[in-house]
Amino acid sequence: MIKRADVVVVGGGVIGCSVAYYLAKKGVRVIVVEKKEGLSLGASGANQGGCPLQLFKSPVLELARESLKLYKNLAEEIECDIEYENVGSLVCSVDEKQYPDMKKHFQDKRREGINVRLIEGHQLRKLEPTLGEDIIVGVEEWDSYMVNPFKVNYGFAYAARKLGTEFLFSSQVKKIERDKERIASVITDREKIKTNFLVNAAGAWASEIGKMLGLTIPVRARRGQIMVTEPVPLNKRWRYILDADYLTTAFDLAAVEDSKEARIKLGVAGSYIQEKSGNWTIGSSRDFAGYNNRVTMQTLKYMAKRAIKFVPKLKDISCIRTFAGLRPFCYGDGLPILSKIKSPQNFVIATGHAGEGMTLAPITGKLIAELITESGTSLSIDAFSFSRFKNIN
Amino acid sequence: MKKKVNNTICRCEEISEQEIRDAIRKFNLRTVDAVKRLTRAGMGLCQGRTCTPLLTKIIAEETDKKVDELLPLSKRPPVRPVKVEFLAREGEQKLD
Ligand SMILES: Cc1cc2nc3c(=O)[nH]c(=O)nc-3n(C[C@H](O)[C@H](O)[C@H](O)COP(=O)(O)OP(=O)(O)OC[C@H]3O[C@@H](n4cnc5c(N)ncnc54)[C@H](O)[C@@H]3O)c2cc1C
Ligand code: FES
Repeated sequence: MIKRADVVVVGGGVIGCSVAYYLAKKGVRVIVVEKKEGLSLGASGANQGGCPLQLFKSPVLELARESLKLYKNLAEEIECDIEYENVGSLVCSVDEKQYPDMKKHFQDKRREGINVRLIEGHQLRKLEPTLGEDIIVGVEEWDSYMVNPFKVNYGFAYAARKLGTEFLFSSQVKKIERDKERIASVITDREKIKTNFLVNAAGAWASEIGKMLGLTIPVRARRGQIMVTEPVPLNKRWRYILDADYLTTAFDLAAVEDSKEARIKLGVAGSYIQEKSGNWTIGSSRDFAGYNNRVTMQTLKYMAKRAIKFVPKLKDISCIRTFAGLRPFCYGDGLPILSKIKSPQNFVIATGHAGEGMTLAPITGKLIAELITESGTSLSIDAFSFSRFKNIN
Repeated sequence: MKKKVNNTICRCEEISEQEIRDAIRKFNLRTVDAVKRLTRAGMGLCQGRTCTPLLTKIIAEETDKKVDELLPLSKRPPVRPVKVEFLAREGEQKLD
């Protein structure tokens, strides 16, 4: 069967669906191709839905800020309650040696215009008695949010579908046909689609799409594991608590690989979020295990141990579910790739969001739609250009 | 007997039949997994042991699929709830 589209988007994750929505809003005829039998079955369905402003560094910080602005009215716009909630965030440390790093984090964020506050351990426990005795210092901030990841993913798809976007499920992109400098059509295991543009939003699998065009897209699957607890009464002040180790393990690959500590080697650094329902999600870890997306007992053990240090009452709460997901991680520099390329000219890459794709989904969709339909983007995306990998292609 | 649409289907999460049917229609859901994720039905303490058969039946009705065509809920360890402290101590043992 031959189909036709203005734009084919590979991937029914939150990035692909956001791209489809913002394109459809501009009147573009989009077909989303997803190899699984439904949406949100990759990283987008296996994350914590946190949008922690203080964890973002420039140049991604600018994207995060704009994305949070778009999130503000998104529920209304796409007619779907995405459970966008202002929960703030608290980054804290249980290690005396980290005190200067925390101070520096605080000063850096101040300079970036983020409204942070440094709070000593004893004061933290007064404000939030559930915090552990070992915590020496924390940095709080109230411009962080959380969302329901499934609802964002499905909500974008719902709104895109209403604007005419077609979704093909159980349909895997296998081959891409070129006509000189351009892509002419996309071949899946079920159909052929003639298209003017192809957007690669295949997440951790984005490099496979690249290979079909002879390109090296430097993205690897970085696995992350999560435990979910039963619901318990809501914390008074902070429901989004992060281990200061997160500041290094998530962003500094060398620090993880060079560490002698087994926990750090597995990338275990806590992100503890209590959902409105009262359930805690305890995350997370960061390792490279190919496309294996199962949890491992060893990693869960380190995660549980560490979680109890920060929020001791978690030890008596039951874990009811665990899961793992694969982050699309750019091993070149850890930054997203939001870019057209030289050849084929009508190929667009939208991936590499690593542990931040839920936060960055709205702005990514908006910018990619602009990149395809307009002469420029409303926010500079030069820092995320594919041309930065000149040496590998 | 007339069917009451406000039956509670998932007791753990207090999700009604109507909420489930609405979500299936709005979001075009085709699998038990998708319904579970969107509505929280089956995500409760019993992890769907009680409500999955009912859930499957509703999806079958809404999608014209047969009950046995619908994939079972993906099982994710632990099979039974375990205290986080147990995971911290015994994490290396198998959970199921
Ligand atoms: C444990 C964990 C916790 C996280 N926590 C957070 C958080 O708190 N906040 C935050 O902002 N981000 C978080 N993230 C990151 C976030 O989940 C990802 O950045 C985001 O989901 C990436 O979305 P995506 O659409 O690019 O990828 P995916 O959701 O993986 O989507 C890619 C899709 O492409 C499909 N696909 C691949 N190849 C093909 C093909 N050849 N043909 C057809 N389809 C194909 C796949 O099946 C998949 O559905 C977390 C991630 C993990 C793993
Ligand atoms: S009844 Fe639905 S999860 Fe227990």
